[in-house]
Amino acid sequence: MIDDEIRLALPAAPDFARLARLTAAGLANRVDFTYDEVEDLRIAVGEACLVLIGPEGRSGTIDLVFRITTDGLEVEATGRFEADGSVDHPSDLSVHILDAVVDEHEVLASGRTVRLRKRRARR
Amino acid sequence: MGLDDTERERLRERFKEYGRTGDRAIRDQLIEAHLRLAEHLARRFSNRGVALDDLIQVAALGLVKAVERFDPERGLEFSTFATPTIVGELKRHFRDKGWAVRVPRRVQELHVEINTLVGELTQRLGRSPTIAELARLAGTSEEDVLEAMEAAQAYRSASIDAPTGTGDEDSRGLAAQLGDEDVNLFDAENRMLIADLLTALPKREQLMLRLRFYDGMTQSQIADRLGISQMHVSRLLAKSLAMLRERVEATER
Repeated sequence: MIDDEIRLALPAAPDFARLARLTAAGLANRVDFTYDEVEDLRIAVGEACLVLIGPEGRSGTIDLVFRITTDGLEVEATGRFEADGSVDHPSDLSVHILDAVVDEHEVLASGRTVRLRKRRARR
Repeated sequence: MGLDDTERERLRERFKEYGRTGDRAIRDQLIEAHLRLAEHLARRFSNRGVALDDLIQVAALGLVKAVERFDPERGLEFSTFATPTIVGELKRHFRDKGWAVRVPRRVQELHVEINTLVGELTQRLGRSPTIAELARLAGTSEEDVLEAMEAAQAYRSASIDAPTGTGDEDSRGLAAQLGDEDVNLFDAENRMLIADLLTALPKREQLMLRLRFYDGMTQSQIADRLGISQMHVSRLLAKSLAMLRERVEATER
């Protein structure tokens, strides 16, 4: 089965991270996440955006790809920025937050892509 | 705004007193005395797709700023001074905030209601509820519930990404967060026990305890940082502490 895929491109500004979170929440609901799991994913997607664009935002876009898998959701957020230079290493706090709310997360070598994976708890 | 001369004189004196003392109680009185001005100006901006209640709040914010900045010694009437400040605040609301921050009252109210329902349902079901269950109980759609959850973020969006001031790892450990009489409970042995038990907790619970007690953040700072409601933070913290307590008691048996 081919996983469903949803793509979203947003200006790389903190205000628009809300849309990314809202989309994530909508999809999480589609795959029957509980309230707590939806909150976890919202936190994770917000954090991924923060890691990429920082608190002030950058000029450019964030491309988000959401994949609905059989057991949950995958999110890939990629920053496409006008200025050169890679993104800062995620702070310890960001890593702790992501650890706490998703099953898997990684920052790809380029430093401009954050990948998240969250599975639905077995019920 | 229909104040008579004696009232006007009395307020002028209050402004001078506030200027001298910075007393918040006086400030609050001055704000209340001029709320009608804020309301009056807010009405001029109604019928533009923003609820009047919301506009009055924005105008009130402008009023607060005006009260804080007003200098009675300059001989200007307060209403003359405050009107441009309040109107400026209202205009800025329309210009900057746009849709990103304007959370309709209906959604704000639903946000509060959902928070209460989550607590009740979690208790009743013994697990986190689904969005569908929440929607059914609130008598609304699942989309509305999701929007209301995101509203926690939206009406604080000025502060969500502000530095929390707890970035570096130096400062206060668990013990510093406790009152004096508790210090003895946290001798080295107990602290090691807690540290062991902490790492055995699920990661979400570990994070909550870390942010609250190790980084020393308040519940509302945690809520801002994570973009979730303070009630959700409070619920997660309570759960984390309960799990920790359970494990401490288990080791004592």
